[in-house]
Amino acid sequence: MIVPEDFDIRYSTLEDLPILQNWFADPLEREPFPFDTDIETEDVLKNWIGFARFKAALTGTLGEVPCAMGTLLLMPYRKVAHHGSFYLIVDPKHRQKGIGTSMVLNLLHLAKTRFSLESISVEIYEPNSILSILEKNRFQMFARQENFVKINGHGHARVLMERFFQ
Amino acid sequence: MTQNKLISIRFGIQEDMGCLIEWLQQPGVLQWFPLADTREIEDAARIWISNIKFNSVLTALWDGQPCGIATLYIQPFKKLAHQSLFAIIVDEKFRGKGVGARLLTDLEKLAKEQFQIELLHLEVYEGNPAIHLYQRLGFLQYGYQRHFIKQNDQYLGKIMMQKVL
Repeated sequence: MIVPEDFDIRYSTLEDLPILQNWFADPLEREPFPFDTDIETEDVLKNWIGFARFKAALTGTLGEVPCAMGTLLLMPYRKVAHHGSFYLIVDPKHRQKGIGTSMVLNLLHLAKTRFSLESISVEIYEPNSILSILEKNRFQMFARQENFVKINGHGHARVLMERFFQ
Repeated sequence: MTQNKLISIRFGIQEDMGCLIEWLQQPGVLQWFPLADTREIEDAARIWISNIKFNSVLTALWDGQPCGIATLYIQPFKKLAHQSLFAIIVDEKFRGKGVGARLLTDLEKLAKEQFQIELLHLEVYEGNPAIHLYQRLGFLQYGYQRHFIKQNDQYLGKIMMQKVL
């Protein structure tokens, strides 16, 4: 899949928060994430955009208009600082254009080059469309936990996947 | 195991934080935690003890003296409220006396009856002798993350275990 010609990626800024909030205003968009209520969502998104201060968050743009955002979640303690995780969302209007794959690859590059991470893990709830992107990019499952999350009262498994850089 | 009458359990209180910090600093203990120095220990102890506001921290007393602490990390998200991660530590002077088993048995009861927890889970580093206790109490491994801990260029994997209540 070839991404649109005017697609670009820049570091996220704190000013991107309203766009992120707008995408997550739809409760359907919150389903792949642990947060759900408005208060939970507000707290997490503030934390998410806070990683922009460390240049750990990326914003994808189409003609300078944000169309995707992702952030590395860095670990707070030294013995585990060699690995991290990430959150990612693509504007629902711009899915199936290769933007998600490009964002994942750029987050991996950022993790490896700027933060010298040795691996990146991701937590997803089944079913999740990002699974195929992760598998294509050499993420491997290391844990699967049934009924970890309840979405609309139904239990779903969480799958933990990891990609090592070496 | 017969219940040791010297062991009693109460809810954790703020003053238990000193014991927690002291036990984390006992020789050899930090190899089983992701913490490396005093700042990290104090930070983790603050988070651990902050759960007293939910009454999800249990402190074991041996003849009235704190000898172990276990905590349910109550999930901040509604979608995850039916499950909980927990952590436990026992003062080195009181290991092998049934303190850990008593704490975990009471924590499991608390989780089920007070918090309607359906799934209790833990993370433990490979080689930790506590794994045998978790297995004996019915916890089963559901995942393994290699290279989770890195210290002095040596890696240690993380074993993830759970019990359906």
